[in-house]
Amino acid sequence: MRVKIINLAITFIFLFIALGIFNLQIIQGARFKNLSDNNCIRLLPQIGGRGRILDRNGELIVGNYLSYDLMLLPQEKSQSDKALALISRALGADLADLKDEFKQNYISPFIPVMLVKNIGFKKAVSLGELKSDYNNIIIQPKPLRFYPYGKLASHVIGYLNEIDHWRLSRLKDYGYETKDIVGFGGIEEKYDYYLRQEDGGLSTQVDHRGRFVRVLGFRPPVDGKDMQLTLDIRVQKISEEALAERKGSVILMGPDSGEIIAMASSPDFYPSLFITKPALAMASLRNSALINRAISGAYPAASVFKLVVASGALETGKINQSSTFICSGAARIGNRQFNCWDEHNAQDLANAITHSCDVFFYKTGILLGPQALHDYALKFGLSKPTGIDLPYEAGGFVPDPLWKKVYRLQNWFDGDTANFAIGQGDLMVTPVQLARLMAVFANKGTLVTPYLVKGIDNKDVSAYRKRNAAIAIKKSVINCIRQDLRAVVSEPSGTANLLSDLPVAVAGKTGTAQASGGKTHGWFVGFFPFNNPKFVICVFLENSGSGHTACALARQIIEGMSRENLI
Amino acid sequence: MRRSGLTILLIAVLICIIGILSIYSSNYEKQGDAWRMIYKRQIGWLFLGLILFLIISNFNYRRFWDISYILYGVVIFLLSLVFISGAVRSGAQRWLKIAWFNLQPSEFAKLIMIIFLARYFSKKSFDEVSLSVSKFGILRALILPLIFISIPAGMIIEQPDLGTGIIIIGIFIAMLFAAGVRLRYTFLILLCGGLSVPVLWNFLRDYQKDRLLVFLNPNIDPLGAGYTVIQSKIAIGSGGFWGKGWLLGTQSQLHFLPESHTDFIFATFSEEWGFAGGIILVALYYFLIKQGIAIAERTSDYFGKLLAYGISLMLGIQVVINIAMNLGFAPVVGIPLPLMSYGGSSLLATFIALGILVNIAKERAVF
Repeated sequence: MRVKIINLAITFIFLFIALGIFNLQIIQGARFKNLSDNNCIRLLPQIGGRGRILDRNGELIVGNYLSYDLMLLPQEKSQSDKALALISRALGADLADLKDEFKQNYISPFIPVMLVKNIGFKKAVSLGELKSDYNNIIIQPKPLRFYPYGKLASHVIGYLNEIDHWRLSRLKDYGYETKDIVGFGGIEEKYDYYLRQEDGGLSTQVDHRGRFVRVLGFRPPVDGKDMQLTLDIRVQKISEEALAERKGSVILMGPDSGEIIAMASSPDFYPSLFITKPALAMASLRNSALINRAISGAYPAASVFKLVVASGALETGKINQSSTFICSGAARIGNRQFNCWDEHNAQDLANAITHSCDVFFYKTGILLGPQALHDYALKFGLSKPTGIDLPYEAGGFVPDPLWKKVYRLQNWFDGDTANFAIGQGDLMVTPVQLARLMAVFANKGTLVTPYLVKGIDNKDVSAYRKRNAAIAIKKSVINCIRQDLRAVVSEPSGTANLLSDLPVAVAGKTGTAQASGGKTHGWFVGFFPFNNPKFVICVFLENSGSGHTACALARQIIEGMSRENLI
Repeated sequence: MRRSGLTILLIAVLICIIGILSIYSSNYEKQGDAWRMIYKRQIGWLFLGLILFLIISNFNYRRFWDISYILYGVVIFLLSLVFISGAVRSGAQRWLKIAWFNLQPSEFAKLIMIIFLARYFSKKSFDEVSLSVSKFGILRALILPLIFISIPAGMIIEQPDLGTGIIIIGIFIAMLFAAGVRLRYTFLILLCGGLSVPVLWNFLRDYQKDRLLVFLNPNIDPLGAGYTVIQSKIAIGSGGFWGKGWLLGTQSQLHFLPESHTDFIFATFSEEWGFAGGIILVALYYFLIKQGIAIAERTSDYFGKLLAYGISLMLGIQVVINIAMNLGFAPVVGIPLPLMSYGGSSLLATFIALGILVNIAKERAVF
C-alpha cells in the first residue's frame, strides 16, 4: 500500500517537473528567448550625417556638427550612483537633478537611459575618460544640422522636423518611419531621399556586468549625399540684405541655363530653431514666413505682362514697330473709362514699352483679342509651374473667355481684355515665372527651366535635367522687344531710368500691380549686362511699393554685386 | 542482482558525463585557468567515486547495521569540527579542510542519517520475527528519532545550510512513512512542522528570508535576491526545443546565471540542450530512482529495505527540489543536483549511497 503511494508520488512529481520544463521551454520559450537576447545583446545605434548643402562654389550653406548625448546603462544601484556622482562632478550638474532624470527615463534594466542631451565636445571628452572605469557610461555622438549663415536662403533650404502624419503616409513605402527627421520645404524636402542618412549600428554581446564580450554584427552608418546648389551665397546675401524686412522676393537666375543664383523670400525664418525648439519656431512665424514667395506666391503680373502682349501683337502682325496710338491719359473701352498712369501722347511700341503706356496696350490687347493673349501667355510658360526643383510651386493663372463663361457664368468684355493686356484682372503669376519670361528676352528665345541643384554627391546632374526649349515666337520679335527693354532703362523718360547710371548695362521692365484691398505690389524684372546677359533679376515687393521702389531695390542689389565683382 | 547494479552504474556515469560537459561549458568563458580546469577536478572525483562505488558495492551492507551508532557519533563530531575550524566560503562555514580537498560533512550526514534511521526502525522484538515498528508509541516512533535527527539537522542549518537541513527533515518524514510508522504520526509531524514555520521564520537569516519571499514573487527584487531565479528561468526557457548548443548558452557563458556549475547546473544544461536534453536527463533520474525503489521492494531484509528506500527517496527529494528550484517552483536553497553539480563531497556521497544500493540488490540472494 505505502509502496504504491511512494511509487505513484515519485511518478507524479517527475511528470510535474517534466511539464514544468515543457511549459518554460516550449510554451513560453519564445518569450524567454527574447528575454535572453535582451540580457546579453546591446544595440548601440550609430547615426549617420545628413547630406550637406553647398553653394555653387562649394561654400557650405548647411552642414552638420557632432552633438553628444550622455546615456547610462543601469546596473547595480551602487554602481549607477557612483557613476551619477562622477557625471555630476564632470558636468557641474546637480546630482539630484541627474537622479531624477535617470529615474524618469528609466525603461528597463537592459536599455541605456538618456541622461543629458547635447553635451559639448569638451564635456564629452572628459566623460569619455570616465568610461574606462565605468563601462555603463555611453556617449552617443549624433550629427545635428548646422547653419553657418543663420537664416540665409532659408526658403531654398527648408527646415527639418519630425515626420508628420501626411508625409509618413506618402513615404512609408520608401522606408520612412515614425519619429524620422525629414525635410520640410525647400531642398531638404525635395531631395530628402538623397540627403537622408542611413543609420547604422553595432550589436554587441555583453556579460552580466554589461562588459563588452564580442561584436555580433555591425552596419556602418551611411552619410546622406551632399547637394551642390547653383546658388551663389554672396549674391544671395546681397539680395537678402537688400530685401531686408520688406515682404517680397528676389530671384537672380542664369538666363541661358535657368540656374538660380539667388532666391530670397521675405519674411524668412531660422531653420536651426526647428531643431532645438520646433514649437517655439512655429510660434515665432509671422506673415506666412514659411511660404517661399518666389515660387509659391501668385500675384498680378502688371506691366511686365505687356511684353507678352507686344510679342503676340508683333508676331501676328496686328501692329508693327511703327504702329502708333495716341495716349490722352485715358481710353474709353465699352462704356468705361480706362486710365493710363500718365498722358503720353503719340506712342509707338518702343515708346509704349519704355513709358509703360497703358493706353497703347489696351488698344493693342483689344486688337489681338483675349484668346491670343491667353495663348501667348502660355507660350511664355505662364499658368503652369516652371518645374523648378523645389516643392510647393504655384502655377499662377491665365484667364480666357471660355473660362470666364464656364466658371464665372459671365461673358468676356473688351474691358476684361484691356485689364488682361496690362497684366491685371484675373491673371496671376509667380516671381519665378516672370524671371523665366525675362530670360526669354535675355537669351533671345529660349524658355528655360529654372533649377537649383547642380550636383548630387559631387556628380553633375545636369544631364538628367529637362532640356530648355526654344520658344515658338519669331526671333526678330524677341530681338525687337529686347532692344526696347534696354530703352526702359537707358531713356531718361524710361520707367527704370533709375538703373541707367550703374556700371553695367541693365535692361528690364517695371510693374506696379493693383492689389486687392491694399497697397500696390512692385515689380522689376530685367537682365544684365545687356549685350551678354549673365543674370536675370526679378524683384517683387508685396504690398510695399511700386515699380519704382522695386527698381531701387534692384539697383541696390546690382550695385552690391558689382562692388564685389560678382558680375 | 547483477543487472540492476549495472543499470544503476551506467545511468549514474551517464549523468556524471552530462554533468562534466555542463561544468566545462559553464566555465568555458571564465577568466583564469583555475576556473577552466574545474571540470578536470570533477573527472577526478568521478574516478574516486567509481572506486568507492566498487568497494562499497562489495561491502556487505549489514555491517552498517553494526556501526550505525558509531557513524552517527562521527557525523556529530565532524559537524562540531566544522563549527570550530571549518573553512568559510561565501558566508557559510560548511567545509573541513582535509589535506588537499575540502570535505563537506553535511553531504555525508544525509546518508548516515538514512543508515541510522534504517537501523532504528528495523529493530525487531525478541520474541517474534515480525517488525514492531508499526506498534511503536509516539515516543519511540516520533519523538526519540526526531531528537536524534534534530541534532545534526540543527547543526547543519546553523552553518548555515538550510537546504541540506531541509533535505534531512524531508528524509526523516519520508522514512517514517516508508518504515510503516502509524500514519497519524507522519501527519502529526507534518502538522507540527507547518505550525512551527512562523516561529522558525524568526531564526532564519535575512538572506534566507529574502530568498523565500522572492520565491513567492521574484519580481520584488529583480537585481537582488530574485535575480538568480529570473536568470535561471530565462536560461531554461530560452533553450527552446533543441537548445542553443553546447558552449553556446548565452545565459551561462556570459555569467548572467550565478552558480551555473553547482546549484543551477540544470539551467545551464537545459539552456544548451533544450527540452530534448532536459527531458532525457529527468528520465535518467527517474529510472535511477525507480531502480532503487525496485531494489527496496525486492529486498526481504528490513534494514536493507529501509536503507534502499531511504537512499532512493534522498536522491528523489534532492533531484526534485533542485530542478524545481531551477524552474522557479521552489525557493532557492542551496541543494546540489546529485551527480551533476560540481563538488566532490556530494559526488562521493552519492556514489557511496549507490554502492550501498547495489550491494543490497546483490545480497538479497544470501537470505
